[in-house]
Amino acid sequence: MRRIAAALLSLAAFVAIWEAATVIGGYPDYILPAPEVVAARGARAIASGTLWQHTAATLLEVVLGFSVGAVAAMGAGIALGKSLLIERVLSPYIVAAQAVPILALAPLLDIWFGGGLLARVIVCALIVFFPIAIATMVGIRSADPLLAEMLRSLGARPSQITTRLEIPSALPVIFGGLRVGVTLAVIGAVVAEWAGASVGLGVLINIANQGLFDTPLMFVALVTLAVTGLVFYGLVLAVERRVLSP
Amino acid sequence: MERTETQEIRPAVGLGVRADQVGVRFVTPRGGLEALRDLSLDAPAGSFTVLIGPNGCGKSTFLRVVAGLLRPQVGAVAVGEAAPVAGDGRVGLAFQQPRLVPWRSTLENVALPLELAGVAADDRQERAFAALQRVGLAAAARLRPAELSGGMQQRAALARALITNPPVLLLDEPFSALDALTRETFDAELQRIWLDHPRTMLLVTHSVGEAIQLADQIAVMSPAPGRVVRTVPVELPRPRPAELMGNPRAAEVAAEVRSLLAAVHPPELRPWGEDVA
Repeated sequence: MRRIAAALLSLAAFVAIWEAATVIGGYPDYILPAPEVVAARGARAIASGTLWQHTAATLLEVVLGFSVGAVAAMGAGIALGKSLLIERVLSPYIVAAQAVPILALAPLLDIWFGGGLLARVIVCALIVFFPIAIATMVGIRSADPLLAEMLRSLGARPSQITTRLEIPSALPVIFGGLRVGVTLAVIGAVVAEWAGASVGLGVLINIANQGLFDTPLMFVALVTLAVTGLVFYGLVLAVERRVLSP
Repeated sequence: MERTETQEIRPAVGLGVRADQVGVRFVTPRGGLEALRDLSLDAPAGSFTVLIGPNGCGKSTFLRVVAGLLRPQVGAVAVGEAAPVAGDGRVGLAFQQPRLVPWRSTLENVALPLELAGVAADDRQERAFAALQRVGLAAAARLRPAELSGGMQQRAALARALITNPPVLLLDEPFSALDALTRETFDAELQRIWLDHPRTMLLVTHSVGEAIQLADQIAVMSPAPGRVVRTVPVELPRPRPAELMGNPRAAEVAAEVRSLLAAVHPPELRPWGEDVA
């Protein structure tokens, strides 16, 4: 109850400061629209069905991209954590791929994978991969060596040590990576849409910004993206609480 | 070793442990560390052997060799007829720290060896619960290790080591972190468990009193690189009480063990009147 009250209070304060800035600054709507202007534009976009159409496309990309990226990253993280050889061979490529801006890669991936949903899911998965893979690797390595020795003395196979000790020990760190990853997935979806898509919140931003000069609509898209990020973050948090509850 | 009365009434159970001129050397960033050199020991099947010596003399290293967790570079160890293999069921090991898995309940911790061996869930729950009852921890079955006292944690660790009923049980100072009173109780209970279900025992300790209460033979170890300086037989009837010092034979053994330790171990074990420099 108190958590919800605190969140609502902070939201009210944020809107109040925004409102104050527009009143004091007296900016035109195409620079900084007031909250009520954005809300009214949002209501129209919802009523016409446009907002949902774009949001649904982005949500699909985020869910698929995050799922594919997270599963691949956890698998890779386990392999990286367990084998020094694998880490030495693969980590330079993983780090290098992370250092290359996804913004530059997205158009290329769009061409390679046929410009459809698949290309956007791959961009999303790529951006999610790094933090989750690294978190998993670090988590796997944080397993207590004394417990590992105890398990070996009981005849545990390496796979049993992974499932009974290393993965459970790594879970808190893995969830840290998942939290970072899920917010990045939203960015990945927008970047992928900019590289080539006809529908999605990233596309809506482009239309509003460059096509229609409709800054309130752009704010509607931005707020929707922010809410999407918050909701997914909250979902990961809820799963984390459930899994890690004592 | 001369056969004692207690050994004659007890049939040979468990597997004997033999170490023949065992040498272990660790490679460290700053060169090598020789932990064991020329360690020989004969622990007959069903006997209770206590290894005694100060910290760093390689006692724990030797137990890891017997458990098959570490292969000696030199010499050979046999459990029964064959060299030890980690986790093959011949040897159980209780560590100095309880080493319980923190996110598992006491029951799940004790059932872990059965789980690893693929025993069905119902069966292992039942056996783990029976094992907990034997060490007086049935009421704590659902608790996590963090909710247990140090003594309860060690009892759970002992139950875990015993649940597969290994013919050889290695105990690496399992009670050293407990207060003196608790420790006396635990030693008495350990003796009872062993008399009820005899098996070959190897216990590592610093305590001469504990050694005399529990041991058929006391193996006195040298400082690193560790070896067995001498094996002192303890021929006293069982069950033995914690306080044996009134017994002339016990006093004799204690004096012998202490003088052996003082002879090989520099200088902390000698009277302060002697200059250490």
